[in-house]
Amino acid sequence: MKKWPLIIIIAAIIGLVVAFIIGKLLPNMRTSSNDIEVNITDPALIKQGEYIARTADCIACHTTLDGETYAGGLPMLTPLGAIYSTNITPDQETGIGNYSFADFKNAVKHGVRSDNKALYPAMPYPSYQLMPEEDLAAMYAFFMSDVTAVKQANLKSELPPIANWRWPLAYWQVLFDRKRDFVPETDDALLTRGQYLVEGPGHCGSCHTGRGIGFQEIALSNADSNKYLSGAIIDGWRAKSIRGEHRGLGTWTVAELNDFFKTGRTDTTAAFGAMAEVVEHSTQYMTDYDINAMSSYLKTLTPAPNKEATLPAKKDITTQKLLDGDYDSRGSILYAEYCQICHRVDGKGVARIFPALDGNSAVYSNNADSVLQITLSGGRMPETPHDRMAFTMPEFSNLSDADVAEVVNYVRNSWTNQAPEIDVNDVVKMRAFLAKKPKTSTDIAPDLSIDAQTKGAK
Amino acid sequence: MKKSPLNLPTIARVISQKMTIGNLTTAILTASALSIAAISSGCSQPEPIEQNAPEYGLVTTDDANEDIGTYVLPQDTAILDEPNADEIFYGKRLLNETKRLLPEHVGAQMNCNSCHISQGKIPLGDPYINSYNFYPRVMPRSGKEVDLTKRINGCFQRSMNGKPLKPESPEMLAMLAYMKWLSQNTPKEQKVDIQNTGKVDESLTPDPVRGEQIYKAQCATCHGDNGEGIKDSRGDIVFPPLWGDESFNIGAGMARTYKAAAFVKYNMPMGIQTKGLWGHGNVLSDQDAVDVAHFFTHQPRPDFAGKVNDWPNGKKPKDARY
Repeated sequence: MKKWPLIIIIAAIIGLVVAFIIGKLLPNMRTSSNDIEVNITDPALIKQGEYIARTADCIACHTTLDGETYAGGLPMLTPLGAIYSTNITPDQETGIGNYSFADFKNAVKHGVRSDNKALYPAMPYPSYQLMPEEDLAAMYAFFMSDVTAVKQANLKSELPPIANWRWPLAYWQVLFDRKRDFVPETDDALLTRGQYLVEGPGHCGSCHTGRGIGFQEIALSNADSNKYLSGAIIDGWRAKSIRGEHRGLGTWTVAELNDFFKTGRTDTTAAFGAMAEVVEHSTQYMTDYDINAMSSYLKTLTPAPNKEATLPAKKDITTQKLLDGDYDSRGSILYAEYCQICHRVDGKGVARIFPALDGNSAVYSNNADSVLQITLSGGRMPETPHDRMAFTMPEFSNLSDADVAEVVNYVRNSWTNQAPEIDVNDVVKMRAFLAKKPKTSTDIAPDLSIDAQTKGAK
Repeated sequence: MKKSPLNLPTIARVISQKMTIGNLTTAILTASALSIAAISSGCSQPEPIEQNAPEYGLVTTDDANEDIGTYVLPQDTAILDEPNADEIFYGKRLLNETKRLLPEHVGAQMNCNSCHISQGKIPLGDPYINSYNFYPRVMPRSGKEVDLTKRINGCFQRSMNGKPLKPESPEMLAMLAYMKWLSQNTPKEQKVDIQNTGKVDESLTPDPVRGEQIYKAQCATCHGDNGEGIKDSRGDIVFPPLWGDESFNIGAGMARTYKAAAFVKYNMPMGIQTKGLWGHGNVLSDQDAVDVAHFFTHQPRPDFAGKVNDWPNGKKPKDARY
């Protein structure tokens, strides 16, 4: 009887060693050698690569708030510690200056570093693998020739021992990032382009698709499942469902989506939080055709499973009460004091300046995290040349946790809005999370200098 | 072209099916369980926090250096504790929505709180915090003693280009009740140690051309390219007109370059900072503020009939408009 534990231990050790050896070999199966020659000095190719890098939004993760462009160092918080994005400038010592095109392609498309170790799937290679080799070549030319080399050593991850082993990631890749090709859903050129941008370089699913037990996106395309892009929680934001249900994009038109991607706002809403950064760094630079392609494709997505295609109509009784000073809840008093001056008695805000709260699908989503986070930490709209000024929401962190819960519930259930209630513990948790979260560029006030108007997409 | 030194795909497939999925799943489950345990037990949930209300020192009015206590800025929810809560709320609403609620008395598209920002609760934003105790007082502009009722009616006739309220009207009494509540029973001989307006260098010479550039870049989004302001979807004023027939008249303090500059520097624009109740102010230098203030104050605006009675004792400030 006593021998069994020993046998189990020995078997486990042997199993681990075998797993380790195979884990070290697995990345070799994903990589491929150099098939095409890339002329990294070709100006047209560089320019094309710059655009593709915008569609892939590399800058969002590979640049910190005050850091050099593409020099990495942005922390991604995991429950076990932070990992940091890397320096992807062409610096030979600390960046990717020594990368061949094959190295570059294997990292971006297949998640394998030049030393044949697997990359963390924080890098969205399951999406980037759809990108054609020619596009990778153009990006390679851009990064090698047009990005300024910055000497900045990569930061070590804060993961504890064992959790920081990289070889098990090779198994993650085998399980969750099998080789696949882009499969258009239709023959329509516009929709196909949109589908490609959404599934591939745009990697919308990285935030908007839920994740499974292995941190894998539960669907990588609409063909996989209609849970694709059905919303998820990331960085304390509710990345809303961008499928067809009422709480998703059901109430949005293609024209509104186009406006949103190009300018970061519509007459009734504004991008905030992580999406503000996506607009600021990526979508505002995209061509009208590509933007319209994405919007048109997203509007073809059916409602997510078990989600209401439409919510029952609700009559607005809030506006009249606020007009009459009929404050029948603590939330209404708080709204009148802190929110009404900008968001107005009817919750309609002011077009392109203060977002509407009534009928705003980011406000009445089932999960309240986005409303909670922006109430506690504020934020600003993306800066684009379309509008003269980018506005902020100030942080209301001085309110009590109980009052934040009151006013969030009030806003989410007033006018025609209907949403589940939160309680004070949700506020406590969000505050604790925000205390650790690093600030991003849209957490700070906009640059209002007159020169600032020349920034952004031309 | 795939590199396959061994017949790795087959081996991997066999192994991954036979054992590693099991191992990996176990590892993932263990890691997840550990992290869930760390989240739920390791960091025990903190208690909900209370409001962090702004606090300011109290001083005696004759010796501004004497620290005698603390004023805590009240939240409107505390109005419910007052016996005349309805009156205080009414006063608050009148100050916030003056044009809508008192159209007979407000000629301009302005509310009291267009200038007294965030319900008169912010230092440097023309707060009402000390108003209840400050008056009556002899004021340089009128040259005589003015009580709070008269002072409020001054705003109705100048900044709001309208007509005064009857001193005993429920509306006037309600506004006084709000200001009394906001004073939080500060004794008459004490005051809250805050400044009502910020400072700008009054020796600066305005540059109206530069002022117009700044106006277009940083003001016109809200106040309009022609100073016309913006109304909300119901037709109520959000951003007041800064000139024209619906703006404040030349008798208003805001029509004076340096007074306007001090307001603009510390309070405008709104919604551009991540701190402060309105997310407001502090983007312009003194020179910027003086330039832009000169530009909009000197645009056409209504006259003020009572101007002949102002500054009866001389000492008219250099930026007075008449």
